Amino acid sequence: MSAVAAKPTAGGAVNPAAMAVGVVMLIIILGLTYTISPGMGVMALIGIVIGGVMIGFGTHFVPVGGAPAAMGQAPGIATGVAMLAAGAGLAGLFGGAWAAELGIVVAVVTGGIGGGLMMAITCMMVNFVYVFGMGIPAASGKVLHDPITGDSQAEYKSQGTEGHGLPFVSFVGGVIGGILAGAGGTLIYIELLGLYEATFPTLMSATPAQVLPVAVSVAGMFAVALFLVNAVLTAYNITGTIEGPHDPKFKRWPRAIVASAVASALCGFVAILIVAI
Amino acid sequence: MSVKIEVIAGGVPHDKIMIAGLVSTLVCIYLTYLNAFTNTEVFSFFGGLAVVAALIWGSHTIKVLCSYGIGTGVPSAGMIAFGSGVIAMLLATKFGMLAPIVAVVLAAVIGLILGYVSNNILNMKIPAMVQALTEMAVVGALTVMGFAAMITGGFTFTGLTTSTASFLGFPITSYANSFLGGGLIAVAFLLGAIAIQHPFNACLGPGWKQDRMLMLTAECGFLSMIVAAVMSFALISAGSALISLLVAIIGWAYTYSQFFEMSKRDAAAWLDSKPIPDTEGQ
Repeated sequence: MSAVAAKPTAGGAVNPAAMAVGVVMLIIILGLTYTISPGMGVMALIGIVIGGVMIGFGTHFVPVGGAPAAMGQAPGIATGVAMLAAGAGLAGLFGGAWAAELGIVVAVVTGGIGGGLMMAITCMMVNFVYVFGMGIPAASGKVLHDPITGDSQAEYKSQGTEGHGLPFVSFVGGVIGGILAGAGGTLIYIELLGLYEATFPTLMSATPAQVLPVAVSVAGMFAVALFLVNAVLTAYNITGTIEGPHDPKFKRWPRAIVASAVASALCGFVAILIVAI
Repeated sequence: MSVKIEVIAGGVPHDKIMIAGLVSTLVCIYLTYLNAFTNTEVFSFFGGLAVVAALIWGSHTIKVLCSYGIGTGVPSAGMIAFGSGVIAMLLATKFGMLAPIVAVVLAAVIGLILGYVSNNILNMKIPAMVQALTEMAVVGALTVMGFAAMITGGFTFTGLTTSTASFLGFPITSYANSFLGGGLIAVAFLLGAIAIQHPFNACLGPGWKQDRMLMLTAECGFLSMIVAAVMSFALISAGSALISLLVAIIGWAYTYSQFFEMSKRDAAAWLDSKPIPDTEGQ
């Protein structure tokens, strides 16, 4: 399916009944977790849900352009949400994982910086390619003036396009999104790693040092999986492309918060079940 | 709200592919259990065949879903399939011999809820969404489980987290040298995720032909199987790994030549240009 033909299909409307069902599902999953593992499991699940919501909300900031951006017909980074999430968010997750033993605050901040740095580099190189390689200026198609710098956009926008390049507000949005997503992914990893490090030795009857590789690998795999699920659900919410925080589609974020919370709680519940049964 | 942009009729109906894919994947995964009965590892290659069967089913599911304008690109479908699938697969390995069945049920539940979330909470309103996300979660779980069975010779949690190594003649249990402890699952995850999304991404368009896309899927599956077979040298005996590698290479060579034939068949015009004639020295 070409992204050009598949422009917005889903609307921005909120479905209140489904939102209520989502919140109820979230509460049920929290209750189930409390019955199988009160204390440690519930704390881990709350951390996972917060991390998942940060990933889902953060992805809204990232300027995803898709195929039209690659042809210079729409602003944003010229690839899909799944690729950007895997590139920028996982960079943050890996960065945070290195700092895992320095405590949760340091690790989450490191993850955020890792994700933000990766997005900053990506956005800068994307603009280099746009400006010096394709010879197009950066112009937003959704707003007349850049909300941060106040620069006029309309004069630079080519006719027949929705804008092109990466305006300053999109750049800032990308960095904010990278920080949120990287920190969220790291939070999920840290919570699961703490849970597994505490429970795997008795589960597998081995010393903590022996099970550490397994705990790291399983926690990392779950973090990556949760990351991709949340990022793709957000991609569905914005129907593939968004310009950044100034885009009208950004206002759809409440739906993504509920969706990410439900999805993260569900996947986190399964992750906790591994050590609880 | 959503408009189905390309409707391509013809070929085997999706339900048939789904049932055939599910049954043959489960049968192939359970055939690796012959390892436990016969106390060998030579049947590990059935795990790779399970991967190919699951991928063929999965790539057709992606075709069904992505024929609607979801607007997020085909790769995202592969990513969510494996993201939700690997979670179900890891829990299912705790259930011993029942693991593949539990993986199917658990992945279906996760996929169903994710389908509801995207269709109703996120308001996608795509008719095929719930069923497709359910199927893809199952495909993701079974594919990773197939890779696990192929690389380690089994699909239980203990088998995936431990391996026996010999140190100065004494057998010791190693946790780092295993499918999970060694991080091989991350490679298996992406091998499957790329193989599932590539075929439809490469073949979509007005000239889409079902048999060509499915042959490309089988080719991608066997290509992933070659890599997995190479990795399996670390965890199973060299002879068994060699069997897996041979099966993978033969399967890949056959499917690749078939895909090449089908591409020539569907091309508008095929000109077999000869290399530039070597005129020097005349």
